[in-house]
Amino acid sequence: MGTNILEAKGLKRYYRRGSETVKALDGVDFTLGEGEMVAVLGPSGSGKTTLMNLLSCLDAPTEGSLRLEGKETSGLSEDGLVEVRRGKLGFVFQQFLLLPTLTVRENVELPLVFLGKRPSPERTSEVLAQVGLTERAGHLPRELSGGQMQRVAIARALMAEPKVLVADEPTGNLDKAAGESVFSLFKELSRKGLAVLVTTHNQVLGYQADRVVTLEDGKIIKEERP
Amino acid sequence: MDARLKDDKFPLPRYAGLAVKNLGRRPIRTVLTVVGIGLAVAVAVSLGGFTLGYRGAIDRSIEMLGFQVMIMAKGCPYEAATMMLKGGTGLLYLPSDIHQKVKDDPALESITPIFVGVAQKEAGGIRDEGGEKTFTVLNGIDVPSFLKMKPWLKFQTGPGYDGAKWFPQGKGEGIVLGYEIAQYEQRKVGDSFYATITPYGKTEPLRKEFKVMGVLERTGTQDDGTVFLPIEEAQGIFARPGQLTILGLKLKAFNALSMREFEAKWLKLPEVQVVSLQQVKTTLVSLVATAQTMIAAVAVIAVIVALIGVINTILMSVYERTGEIGILKALGARRGDIFQLVWLETLFLCLAGSLAGSLGAWVGAGLVEAAIQSLVNLGVSGSIVRITPGVLGWTIAGSTALGFFAGLYPAWRASSMRPVEAIREGGA
Repeated sequence: MGTNILEAKGLKRYYRRGSETVKALDGVDFTLGEGEMVAVLGPSGSGKTTLMNLLSCLDAPTEGSLRLEGKETSGLSEDGLVEVRRGKLGFVFQQFLLLPTLTVRENVELPLVFLGKRPSPERTSEVLAQVGLTERAGHLPRELSGGQMQRVAIARALMAEPKVLVADEPTGNLDKAAGESVFSLFKELSRKGLAVLVTTHNQVLGYQADRVVTLEDGKIIKEERP
Repeated sequence: MDARLKDDKFPLPRYAGLAVKNLGRRPIRTVLTVVGIGLAVAVAVSLGGFTLGYRGAIDRSIEMLGFQVMIMAKGCPYEAATMMLKGGTGLLYLPSDIHQKVKDDPALESITPIFVGVAQKEAGGIRDEGGEKTFTVLNGIDVPSFLKMKPWLKFQTGPGYDGAKWFPQGKGEGIVLGYEIAQYEQRKVGDSFYATITPYGKTEPLRKEFKVMGVLERTGTQDDGTVFLPIEEAQGIFARPGQLTILGLKLKAFNALSMREFEAKWLKLPEVQVVSLQQVKTTLVSLVATAQTMIAAVAVIAVIVALIGVINTILMSVYERTGEIGILKALGARRGDIFQLVWLETLFLCLAGSLAGSLGAWVGAGLVEAAIQSLVNLGVSGSIVRITPGVLGWTIAGSTALGFFAGLYPAWRASSMRPVEAIREGGA
């Protein structure tokens, strides 16, 4: 693996729920290297999504340090975190969250609108080819299967050539075959140098990653290299 | 980043495209919102057109009276004015010597005496439509001085209208018909025209037959619905010899000072009032202004309701897209990007609604005019709803500006969403 893109030390995320303090994440150290694929496993409520939100700069930690490409991000405001994310992090979620009125091609090109870039048809075609959806470019999301929609979401995440692909339960809404296909795609992307961070409930899929981190009660209890 | 991805220096069209596609997501809701705005805008445009058109119609009607000042018997000046402008009943008459007293005033440029009488209309076997206006205004005029005031009056020509001429002074039973009454009664030169008149002091009506000597071209004024006859004859058949309804006057210098001086001179006579047509205009405008204020209040309420509808529509749309807004922010959209996107949607809704409403008001102006005319006698002739490019432009600009403000809150709500919460809520 190459140099570390993400380095977290003592990450904590506490929430207030009435008078109670919920320790969603309680002191996590974590690294992610270039071209590395790491799966985060753990039962519901173990803190997987919280960890992903912090590592992907969608949320700020209560305590601890997070460096993205060597730059400290903890303590940044929400607007500051947006600037850190732009073009460096790609996201895939369980719910796909495609825009239903846009075609596959338009959905994939969407991040460019906000990054101030004009789409390049060649680049879009390459990304669609990478996820195997060249033939579906003109279709609307409702005309696709769940697996295909998740591939569109992956293509959308890849469009801006991020350094890290963050996928939170990407196979949660997919059948077994589609889930395996998505994980195969992640492995292929990581082989090409993309750092992939993925959470899953599916241990079989999770153990296809280069490294597996298991969380429980907001703490890493196990780290394995399958 | 890939070198093939060039900087987009003018991204607004892409934001606009996204906004339009988002509005197309719930087409029925979008259309209903646009219709709501459209109705409010149509009311506002119609009101603006009515305000403008009515003032113009008053100006035109007063201009086409040909005189600037009227001397008439004491009574309600508004009633007197509308009687002259539109016709009416309950007439008061000036004493017979007033004309002689006033005509030599050095301030006068010209003067014309008018006797107005009201007759029952008779269809004469040609046409009789129940429920229509059943009286006719007969104007007894002195042709030379009357035409000096209204030099634009011309006879119609063509088959059935040729050979027209004004009746000789003071004799015969010939009449000249205004354009509309001739059309309505289907009369041409040489035809008979019947009217039932009840002379002053009599109870039994008298059926009179007149000979049509000419039909006037359309003027777009009260003259179109008037029957003209010699003043002496009119006074005779109504049994009011020498009496007048109005003296129409043109002053050599018509301004506030000369008007005041003229008024002061002739108001000393106990039985007359001097009415400037400028005063009449002010009276008419102020009477209608009350109604216009009420309609304007309704229009404002309609616009506010429509704007609340817009805010509601956009807010619902924002809440429905919570997850999508979350992912857009995750993918790099800044607060300003989301704000701009949602704000554009509001602006487009308001723009579409105001365009639709303006078009509807423009197309339906005739219906609005007919409705107003059928409900209220506004005392003027001609078109009273005038929808100009200026009225349309101001209304469209105004409603778009309101949309500009209506969009602020939903846009702020959307842009303030935190991506983590938005994605969690949107995916739930």
